[in-house]
Amino acid sequence: MAPLTILRAVFGYLFLVLMVRVVGRRPGKQLTPFEFVLIFYLGGLTLTGMVGKEVSLTNAICQILTVAVCHYGLAWLRFRSARVAKLLDGVPLILLEHGQWRTNTLAHMRIQDDDVMDMARDQGLKDLTRIKTAVLESYGEISIIPLEKEKGSDG
Amino acid sequence: MAEQSATSSIGDSVPKVGEVAVGEDLEFQRRWWQFERAIWTFFLLVLLADLLGLFGRGWLAKAKRTDSAQTVTLDYERIERASTPSIMTFHFKPAAIRNGRIALYVSEDLIKSLGAQRISPQPLTSAMGDNGILYTFPVTTTPATAEIELEPSFPGPHHFRVQVSGGQSIDASVFVVP
Amino acid sequence: MATILHAVVGYFLLLIIVRVLARRAGSQMTLFDFVLVFLMGGIIILSTVGNDRSVTNCTCAVIAVALLHRATSWAKSKSPRIGAILDGTPLTIIKNGEWQQEVLRGMKLRPEDIEAAARSANVTRMQDIDYAILERNGRISIFPREDA
Repeated sequence: MAPLTILRAVFGYLFLVLMVRVVGRRPGKQLTPFEFVLIFYLGGLTLTGMVGKEVSLTNAICQILTVAVCHYGLAWLRFRSARVAKLLDGVPLILLEHGQWRTNTLAHMRIQDDDVMDMARDQGLKDLTRIKTAVLESYGEISIIPLEKEKGSDG
Repeated sequence: MAEQSATSSIGDSVPKVGEVAVGEDLEFQRRWWQFERAIWTFFLLVLLADLLGLFGRGWLAKAKRTDSAQTVTLDYERIERASTPSIMTFHFKPAAIRNGRIALYVSEDLIKSLGAQRISPQPLTSAMGDNGILYTFPVTTTPATAEIELEPSFPGPHHFRVQVSGGQSIDASVFVVP
Repeated sequence: MATILHAVVGYFLLLIIVRVLARRAGSQMTLFDFVLVFLMGGIIILSTVGNDRSVTNCTCAVIAVALLHRATSWAKSKSPRIGAILDGTPLTIIKNGEWQQEVLRGMKLRPEDIEAAARSANVTRMQDIDYAILERNGRISIFPREDA
Protein backbone atom coordinates (compact mmCIF):
# COMPACT_ATOMS: atom_id res chain seq x y z
CA MET A 1 0.00 0.00 0.00
CA ALA A 2 1.88 3.03 -1.24
CA PRO A 3 -0.17 5.63 0.64
CA LEU A 4 0.83 4.01 3.92
CA THR A 5 4.50 4.41 3.25
CA ILE A 6 4.09 8.05 2.31
CA LEU A 7 1.98 8.61 5.40
CA ARG A 8 4.71 7.13 7.56
CA ALA A 9 7.29 9.38 5.91
CA VAL A 10 5.19 12.51 6.50
CA PHE A 11 4.48 11.53 10.07
CA GLY A 12 8.13 10.70 10.72
CA TYR A 13 9.31 14.03 9.35
CA LEU A 14 6.77 16.12 11.24
CA PHE A 15 7.29 14.16 14.42
CA LEU A 16 11.04 14.68 14.21
CA VAL A 17 10.58 18.40 13.59
CA LEU A 18 8.41 18.56 16.70
CA MET A 19 10.89 16.59 18.81
CA VAL A 20 13.89 18.62 17.79
CA ARG A 21 11.98 21.81 18.49
CA VAL A 22 10.76 20.63 21.84
CA VAL A 23 13.94 18.99 23.11
CA GLY A 24 15.88 22.19 22.58
CA ARG A 25 19.57 22.63 22.85
CA ARG A 26 22.15 24.09 25.14
CA PRO A 27 23.10 27.65 24.28
CA GLY A 28 26.26 27.90 22.29
CA LYS A 29 27.66 28.55 18.87
CA GLN A 30 27.78 24.94 17.83
CA LEU A 31 26.08 21.74 18.70
CA THR A 32 27.99 19.95 21.40
CA PRO A 33 29.26 16.49 20.43
CA PHE A 34 26.60 14.90 22.58
CA GLU A 35 23.89 16.89 20.87
CA PHE A 36 25.13 15.58 17.54
CA VAL A 37 24.87 12.06 18.84
CA LEU A 38 21.46 12.74 20.33
CA ILE A 39 20.06 14.15 17.11
CA PHE A 40 21.42 11.20 15.23
CA TYR A 41 19.88 8.85 17.79
CA LEU A 42 16.47 10.51 17.50
CA GLY A 43 16.65 10.69 13.72
CA GLY A 44 17.75 7.10 13.40
CA LEU A 45 14.96 5.82 15.62
CA THR A 46 12.43 7.80 13.60
CA LEU A 47 13.71 6.50 10.29
CA THR A 48 13.57 2.92 11.52
CA GLY A 49 9.89 3.37 12.20
CA MET A 50 9.40 5.05 8.85
CA VAL A 51 11.06 2.34 6.84
CA GLY A 52 9.99 -0.67 8.88
CA LYS A 53 10.67 -3.74 6.84
CA GLU A 54 10.14 -2.13 3.46
CA VAL A 55 13.69 -1.88 2.34
CA SER A 56 13.13 -1.81 -1.39
CA LEU A 57 14.81 0.90 -3.44
CA THR A 58 11.38 2.03 -4.61
CA ASN A 59 10.28 2.59 -1.06
CA ALA A 60 13.48 4.41 -0.23
CA ILE A 61 13.12 6.79 -3.16
CA CYS A 62 9.46 7.32 -2.40
CA GLN A 63 10.09 8.18 1.23
CA ILE A 64 13.11 10.36 0.53
CA LEU A 65 11.09 12.35 -1.98
CA THR A 66 8.25 12.67 0.50
CA VAL A 67 10.59 14.03 3.16
CA ALA A 68 12.13 16.43 0.65
CA VAL A 69 8.71 17.72 -0.37
CA CYS A 70 7.66 18.12 3.26
CA HIS A 71 10.86 19.98 4.02
CA TYR A 72 10.41 22.31 1.09
CA GLY A 73 6.79 22.84 2.03
CA LEU A 74 7.72 23.72 5.58
CA ALA A 75 10.43 26.09 4.40
CA TRP A 76 7.95 27.80 2.08
CA LEU A 77 5.34 28.08 4.84
CA ARG A 78 7.95 29.52 7.16
CA PHE A 79 8.86 32.13 4.63
CA ARG A 80 5.29 33.14 4.01
CA SER A 81 3.99 33.26 7.53
CA ALA A 82 5.62 34.99 10.49
CA ARG A 83 3.48 32.91 12.77
CA VAL A 84 4.78 29.67 11.34
CA ALA A 85 8.31 31.03 11.58
CA LYS A 86 7.81 31.74 15.27
CA LEU A 87 6.38 28.29 15.85
CA LEU A 88 9.23 26.57 14.05
CA ASP A 89 12.16 28.65 15.17
CA GLY A 90 11.13 30.35 18.33
CA VAL A 91 11.83 33.97 19.09
CA PRO A 92 14.87 35.78 20.45
CA LEU A 93 14.68 36.29 24.18
CA ILE A 94 16.39 38.86 26.32
CA LEU A 95 18.41 37.41 29.15
CA LEU A 96 20.20 40.37 30.63
CA GLU A 97 19.32 43.99 30.28
CA HIS A 98 20.35 47.13 32.16
CA GLY A 99 22.25 44.99 34.64
CA GLN A 100 19.14 42.94 35.45
CA TRP A 101 18.68 39.23 34.73
CA ARG A 102 15.39 38.08 33.31
CA THR A 103 15.02 35.34 35.87
CA ASN A 104 11.83 33.90 34.42
CA THR A 105 13.39 33.46 31.02
CA LEU A 106 16.56 32.04 32.50
CA ALA A 107 14.61 29.48 34.50
CA HIS A 108 12.42 28.34 31.62
CA MET A 109 15.29 28.07 29.20
CA ARG A 110 17.51 26.44 31.80
CA ILE A 111 20.36 28.86 31.29
CA GLN A 112 22.87 29.74 33.94
CA ASP A 113 24.90 32.87 34.28
CA ASP A 114 27.85 30.62 33.44
CA ASP A 115 26.50 30.14 29.96
CA VAL A 116 26.21 33.85 29.37
CA MET A 117 29.71 34.38 30.76
CA ASP A 118 30.96 31.64 28.44
CA MET A 119 29.78 33.62 25.46
CA ALA A 120 31.06 36.87 26.90
CA ARG A 121 34.55 35.44 27.30
CA ASP A 122 34.42 34.45 23.68
CA GLN A 123 34.10 38.12 22.84
CA GLY A 124 36.91 39.09 25.14
CA LEU A 125 34.76 40.41 27.96
CA LYS A 126 36.07 39.69 31.39
CA ASP A 127 33.00 39.89 33.54
CA LEU A 128 29.28 40.40 33.59
CA THR A 129 29.38 44.09 34.35
CA ARG A 130 30.78 44.78 30.91
CA ILE A 131 27.65 43.45 29.23
CA LYS A 132 24.93 45.80 28.12
CA THR A 133 22.45 43.31 26.73
CA ALA A 134 22.48 39.54 26.36
CA VAL A 135 20.03 37.96 23.94
CA LEU A 136 19.30 34.29 23.49
CA GLU A 137 18.79 33.79 19.79
CA SER A 138 16.21 31.37 18.49
CA TYR A 139 18.90 29.03 17.25
CA GLY A 140 20.53 28.83 20.63
CA GLU A 141 23.46 31.20 20.43
CA ILE A 142 23.74 33.95 23.00
CA SER A 143 24.51 37.35 21.54
CA ILE A 144 26.36 39.73 23.80
CA ILE A 145 26.22 43.45 23.27
CA PRO A 146 29.00 44.97 25.33
CA LEU A 147 28.87 48.28 27.07
CA GLU A 148 30.46 50.75 24.77
CA LYS A 149 33.76 52.26 25.76
CA GLU A 150 33.12 55.98 26.00
CA LYS A 151 34.25 57.23 22.64
CA GLY A 152 31.29 59.28 21.49
CA SER A 153 28.90 56.42 20.87
CA ASP A 154 25.51 57.25 19.46
CA GLY A 155 23.44 54.25 20.49
CA MET B 1 4.98 47.08 -17.58
CA ALA B 2 5.21 48.38 -14.06
CA GLU B 3 8.18 47.12 -12.12
CA GLN B 4 7.61 46.05 -8.59
CA SER B 5 9.72 47.93 -6.11
CA ALA B 6 12.69 45.82 -5.17
CA THR B 7 13.47 47.82 -2.09
CA SER B 8 11.62 48.91 0.99
CA SER B 9 12.77 51.18 3.72
CA ILE B 10 14.10 49.71 6.96
CA GLY B 11 11.82 51.66 9.20
CA ASP B 12 11.01 49.75 12.32
CA SER B 13 10.61 46.34 10.74
CA VAL B 14 12.32 44.50 13.58
CA PRO B 15 10.61 45.45 16.82
CA LYS B 16 12.88 47.11 19.32
CA VAL B 17 13.25 46.48 22.98
CA GLY B 18 14.89 49.49 24.53
CA GLU B 19 17.60 50.38 22.07
CA VAL B 20 18.27 46.96 20.69
CA ALA B 21 16.37 45.64 17.68
CA VAL B 22 15.65 42.20 19.02
CA GLY B 23 12.22 41.15 17.85
CA GLU B 24 11.37 39.54 21.16
CA ASP B 25 7.80 38.41 21.59
CA LEU B 26 7.29 37.48 25.20
CA GLU B 27 3.59 36.92 24.77
CA PHE B 28 4.22 34.23 22.18
CA GLN B 29 6.98 32.74 24.28
CA ARG B 30 4.79 32.45 27.35
CA ARG B 31 2.20 30.56 25.39
CA TRP B 32 4.94 28.41 23.92
CA TRP B 33 6.15 27.51 27.41
CA GLN B 34 2.62 26.50 28.29
CA PHE B 35 2.50 24.34 25.18
CA GLU B 36 5.80 22.75 26.13
CA ARG B 37 4.54 21.79 29.57
CA ALA B 38 1.41 20.29 28.04
CA ILE B 39 3.28 18.29 25.48
CA TRP B 40 5.81 16.86 27.88
CA THR B 41 2.95 15.68 30.09
CA PHE B 42 1.37 14.18 27.01
CA PHE B 43 4.59 12.40 26.11
CA LEU B 44 4.85 11.01 29.61
CA LEU B 45 1.30 9.66 29.34
CA VAL B 46 2.02 8.12 25.96
CA LEU B 47 5.07 6.38 27.37
CA LEU B 48 3.06 5.14 30.34
CA ALA B 49 0.38 3.79 28.02
CA ASP B 50 3.08 2.07 25.99
CA LEU B 51 4.57 0.45 29.08
CA LEU B 52 1.14 -0.78 30.17
CA GLY B 53 0.64 -2.36 26.79
CA LEU B 54 -2.04 -0.09 25.36
CA PHE B 55 -0.13 -0.05 22.08
CA GLY B 56 0.58 -3.73 21.99
CA ARG B 57 3.32 -5.82 23.49
CA GLY B 58 2.30 -5.44 27.06
CA TRP B 59 0.01 -6.41 29.87
CA LEU B 60 -3.13 -4.64 28.64
CA ALA B 61 -2.87 -6.21 25.22
CA LYS B 62 -2.93 -9.81 26.36
CA ALA B 63 -6.25 -11.58 26.03
CA LYS B 64 -7.59 -15.04 26.76
CA ARG B 65 -10.71 -16.69 25.40
CA THR B 66 -12.20 -20.09 26.01
CA ASP B 67 -14.95 -21.54 23.87
CA SER B 68 -18.25 -22.49 25.48
CA ALA B 69 -17.69 -26.19 24.85
CA GLN B 70 -14.47 -26.08 26.82
CA THR B 71 -12.37 -27.51 24.03
CA VAL B 72 -9.71 -24.89 23.76
CA THR B 73 -8.35 -21.76 25.45
CA LEU B 74 -6.87 -19.17 23.17
CA ASP B 75 -4.10 -16.77 24.25
CA TYR B 76 -3.77 -13.89 21.89
CA GLU B 77 -2.99 -10.18 21.81
CA ARG B 78 -5.92 -7.91 21.19
CA ILE B 79 -3.60 -5.10 20.16
CA GLU B 80 -0.68 -5.81 17.91
CA ARG B 81 1.89 -3.86 15.99
CA ALA B 82 2.38 -3.95 12.25
CA SER B 83 5.33 -5.96 10.93
CA THR B 84 6.09 -7.18 14.41
CA PRO B 85 6.03 -10.87 15.27
CA SER B 86 3.69 -12.17 17.96
CA ILE B 87 2.60 -15.58 19.09
CA MET B 88 -0.93 -16.92 19.39
CA THR B 89 -1.24 -19.98 21.62
CA PHE B 90 -3.93 -22.64 21.69
CA HIS B 91 -4.32 -24.64 24.89
CA PHE B 92 -6.32 -27.73 24.05
CA LYS B 93 -8.52 -29.44 26.61
CA PRO B 94 -9.41 -33.17 26.75
CA ALA B 95 -12.72 -32.57 24.98
CA ALA B 96 -10.85 -31.58 21.84
CA ILE B 97 -9.25 -34.92 21.14
CA ARG B 98 -11.00 -37.30 18.76
CA ASN B 99 -9.33 -40.49 17.68
CA GLY B 100 -6.03 -39.25 18.89
CA ARG B 101 -6.28 -36.18 16.73
CA ILE B 102 -7.21 -32.54 17.17
CA ALA B 103 -8.75 -30.73 14.23
CA LEU B 104 -8.42 -26.96 14.36
CA TYR B 105 -10.09 -24.55 11.97
CA VAL B 106 -8.65 -21.05 11.54
CA SER B 107 -10.32 -18.43 9.40
CA GLU B 108 -8.40 -16.97 6.50
CA ASP B 109 -8.02 -13.59 8.18
CA LEU B 110 -5.46 -15.22 10.36
CA ILE B 111 -3.47 -16.15 7.30
CA LYS B 112 -4.04 -13.11 5.16
CA SER B 113 -4.35 -9.97 7.20
CA LEU B 114 -2.78 -11.19 10.40
CA GLY B 115 0.00 -12.86 8.49
CA ALA B 116 0.41 -16.31 9.99
CA GLN B 117 4.04 -17.23 9.51
CA ARG B 118 4.37 -20.69 10.85
CA ILE B 119 2.41 -23.09 12.94
CA SER B 120 3.96 -25.43 15.42
CA PRO B 121 3.85 -28.30 15.85
CA GLN B 122 3.72 -29.32 12.20
CA PRO B 123 0.15 -30.32 11.40
CA LEU B 124 -0.52 -33.75 9.95
CA THR B 125 -2.83 -32.40 7.31
CA SER B 126 -4.07 -29.00 6.27
CA ALA B 127 -7.18 -28.65 4.19
CA MET B 128 -8.60 -25.49 2.66
CA GLY B 129 -12.25 -24.68 2.78
CA ASP B 130 -14.95 -22.66 4.44
CA ASN B 131 -12.89 -19.43 4.15
CA GLY B 132 -10.12 -20.86 6.23
CA ILE B 133 -7.85 -23.81 6.80
CA LEU B 134 -8.47 -26.94 8.81
CA TYR B 135 -5.39 -28.38 10.48
CA THR B 136 -5.12 -31.78 12.09
CA PHE B 137 -2.58 -32.50 14.78
CA PRO B 138 -1.69 -35.83 16.27
CA VAL B 139 -1.91 -35.82 20.04
CA THR B 140 -1.55 -38.30 22.85
CA THR B 141 -2.51 -36.54 26.06
CA THR B 142 -3.48 -33.11 27.16
CA PRO B 143 -2.40 -30.53 27.98
CA ALA B 144 -1.54 -30.04 24.33
CA THR B 145 -0.57 -26.68 22.86
CA ALA B 146 -0.15 -25.32 19.39
CA GLU B 147 1.29 -21.98 18.43
CA ILE B 148 0.88 -19.76 15.42
CA GLU B 149 3.39 -17.01 14.81
CA LEU B 150 1.72 -13.89 13.44
CA GLU B 151 3.11 -10.86 11.69
CA PRO B 152 0.35 -8.46 10.70
CA SER B 153 0.99 -6.26 7.70
CA PHE B 154 -1.57 -3.52 7.76
CA PRO B 155 -2.95 -1.43 10.58
CA GLY B 156 -6.62 -1.51 11.45
CA PRO B 157 -9.11 -3.83 13.08
CA HIS B 158 -9.07 -7.47 12.00
CA HIS B 159 -11.56 -10.14 12.99
CA PHE B 160 -10.88 -13.82 12.99
CA ARG B 161 -12.41 -17.06 14.08
CA VAL B 162 -11.01 -20.33 15.32
CA GLN B 163 -12.83 -23.51 16.10
CA VAL B 164 -11.94 -26.98 17.20
CA SER B 165 -14.00 -29.67 15.43
CA GLY B 166 -16.61 -30.69 17.91
CA GLY B 167 -16.39 -27.47 19.87
CA GLN B 168 -17.78 -23.98 19.58
CA SER B 169 -16.17 -21.19 17.61
CA ILE B 170 -14.24 -18.34 19.12
CA ASP B 171 -14.63 -15.00 17.38
CA ALA B 172 -12.20 -12.33 18.30
CA SER B 173 -10.61 -9.27 16.87
CA VAL B 174 -7.18 -7.79 16.86
CA PHE B 175 -6.47 -4.13 16.42
CA VAL B 176 -3.20 -3.55 14.60
CA VAL B 177 -1.40 -0.29 15.23
CA PRO B 178 1.03 1.01 12.61
CA MET C 1 9.19 -2.33 27.81
CA ALA C 2 12.38 -3.74 26.38
CA THR C 3 12.62 -0.89 23.94
CA ILE C 4 12.38 1.74 26.64
CA LEU C 5 14.93 -0.03 28.81
CA HIS C 6 17.31 -0.24 25.88
CA ALA C 7 16.68 3.42 25.14
CA VAL C 8 17.57 4.42 28.69
CA VAL C 9 20.73 2.35 28.76
CA GLY C 10 21.64 3.53 25.27
CA TYR C 11 21.23 7.18 26.18
CA PHE C 12 23.44 6.98 29.25
CA LEU C 13 26.01 4.86 27.47
CA LEU C 14 26.29 7.46 24.74
CA LEU C 15 26.45 10.19 27.35
CA ILE C 16 29.35 8.54 29.16
CA ILE C 17 31.30 7.72 26.03
CA VAL C 18 30.95 11.16 24.52
CA ARG C 19 31.87 12.75 27.82
CA VAL C 20 35.01 10.69 28.06
CA LEU C 21 36.05 11.11 24.46
CA ALA C 22 35.19 14.72 23.86
CA ARG C 23 36.89 17.95 24.73
CA ARG C 24 40.06 17.72 22.86
CA ALA C 25 41.42 21.11 22.00
CA GLY C 26 39.91 22.52 18.89
CA SER C 27 36.22 23.19 18.62
CA GLN C 28 35.54 21.78 15.20
CA MET C 29 34.22 18.26 14.85
CA THR C 30 36.67 16.40 12.70
CA LEU C 31 35.60 14.01 9.99
CA PHE C 32 36.43 11.11 12.22
CA ASP C 33 34.21 12.47 14.97
CA PHE C 34 31.32 12.33 12.52
CA VAL C 35 32.11 8.74 11.69
CA LEU C 36 32.14 7.91 15.39
CA VAL C 37 28.75 9.57 15.85
CA PHE C 38 27.36 7.49 13.02
CA LEU C 39 28.83 4.26 14.29
CA MET C 40 27.88 4.61 17.92
CA GLY C 41 24.50 6.13 17.19
CA GLY C 42 23.67 3.48 14.65
CA ILE C 43 24.59 0.61 16.91
CA ILE C 44 22.50 1.93 19.75
CA ILE C 45 19.55 2.52 17.44
CA LEU C 46 19.53 -1.04 16.19
CA SER C 47 19.70 -2.37 19.69
CA THR C 48 16.96 -0.06 20.96
CA VAL C 49 14.49 -0.93 18.25
CA GLY C 50 15.16 -4.64 18.26
CA ASN C 51 12.92 -6.65 15.98
CA ASP C 52 9.94 -4.35 16.40
CA ARG C 53 10.20 -1.77 13.67
CA SER C 54 6.67 -0.46 13.87
CA VAL C 55 6.00 3.25 13.89
CA THR C 56 4.50 2.84 17.35
CA ASN C 57 7.63 1.34 18.82
CA CYS C 58 10.03 3.79 17.24
CA THR C 59 7.89 6.76 18.21
CA CYS C 60 7.81 5.57 21.81
CA ALA C 61 11.57 5.10 21.74
CA VAL C 62 12.05 8.66 20.49
CA ILE C 63 9.73 9.97 23.19
CA ALA C 64 11.62 8.00 25.83
CA VAL C 65 14.98 9.45 24.73
CA ALA C 66 13.58 12.95 24.57
CA LEU C 67 12.13 12.64 28.07
CA LEU C 68 15.48 11.38 29.32
CA HIS C 69 17.30 14.30 27.79
CA ARG C 70 14.83 16.67 29.36
CA ALA C 71 15.29 15.01 32.73
CA THR C 72 19.08 15.29 32.60
CA SER C 73 18.81 18.93 31.52
CA TRP C 74 16.59 19.59 34.49
CA ALA C 75 19.00 17.76 36.79
CA LYS C 76 21.88 19.82 35.42
CA SER C 77 20.04 23.05 36.05
CA LYS C 78 19.17 22.08 39.60
CA SER C 79 22.57 20.81 40.65
CA PRO C 80 25.82 22.46 39.52
CA ARG C 81 27.60 19.30 40.59
CA ILE C 82 25.72 17.20 38.10
CA GLY C 83 26.35 19.87 35.52
CA ALA C 84 30.06 19.62 36.22
CA ILE C 85 30.00 15.85 35.95
CA LEU C 86 28.02 15.77 32.73
CA ASP C 87 29.40 18.80 30.94
CA GLY C 88 32.67 19.53 32.62
CA THR C 89 33.86 22.91 33.85
CA PRO C 90 36.01 25.54 32.21
CA LEU C 91 39.67 25.13 33.15
CA THR C 92 42.42 27.73 33.41
CA ILE C 93 45.45 26.89 31.32
CA ILE C 94 47.33 30.14 31.65
CA LYS C 95 47.00 32.29 34.74
CA ASN C 96 48.75 35.64 34.91
CA GLY C 97 51.03 34.56 32.15
CA GLU C 98 51.92 31.32 33.94
CA TRP C 99 51.25 27.98 32.35
CA GLN C 100 49.27 25.59 34.55
CA GLN C 101 51.23 22.42 33.91
CA GLU C 102 48.86 20.16 35.76
CA VAL C 103 45.93 21.15 33.60
CA LEU C 104 47.98 21.05 30.43
CA ARG C 105 49.15 17.54 31.16
CA GLY C 106 45.73 16.36 32.32
CA MET C 107 43.93 17.65 29.25
CA LYS C 108 46.77 16.61 26.97
CA LEU C 109 47.19 20.02 25.47
CA ARG C 110 50.14 20.80 23.28
CA PRO C 111 51.65 24.28 22.94
CA GLU C 112 50.53 24.28 19.31
CA ASP C 113 46.86 24.13 20.37
CA ILE C 114 47.23 27.23 22.49
CA GLU C 115 49.23 29.00 19.84
CA ALA C 116 46.46 28.37 17.33
CA ALA C 117 43.89 29.79 19.71
CA ALA C 118 46.11 32.78 20.33
CA ARG C 119 46.41 33.44 16.62
CA SER C 120 42.63 33.53 16.21
CA ALA C 121 42.56 36.11 18.99
CA ASN C 122 45.13 38.13 17.09
CA VAL C 123 47.79 37.61 19.72
CA THR C 124 51.16 36.92 18.17
CA ARG C 125 53.41 36.34 21.14
CA MET C 126 52.78 33.81 23.84
CA GLN C 127 54.16 36.20 26.43
CA ASP C 128 51.30 38.56 25.67
CA ILE C 129 48.72 36.17 27.02
CA ASP C 130 47.39 37.00 30.43
CA TYR C 131 44.74 34.33 30.80
CA ALA C 132 43.82 31.33 28.70
CA ILE C 133 40.73 29.27 29.53
CA LEU C 134 39.86 25.85 28.13
CA GLU C 135 36.10 25.98 27.72
CA ARG C 136 33.78 23.04 28.16
CA ASN C 137 33.34 22.54 24.46
CA GLY C 138 37.08 22.53 23.75
CA ARG C 139 37.45 26.11 22.65
CA ILE C 140 40.28 28.11 24.19
CA SER C 141 39.52 31.67 25.21
CA ILE C 142 42.52 33.99 25.17
CA PHE C 143 42.79 37.16 27.21
CA PRO C 144 45.83 39.21 26.23
CA ARG C 145 47.68 41.39 28.69
CA GLU C 146 46.22 44.86 29.01
CA ASP C 147 49.45 46.53 28.01
CA ALA C 148 50.07 44.31 24.99
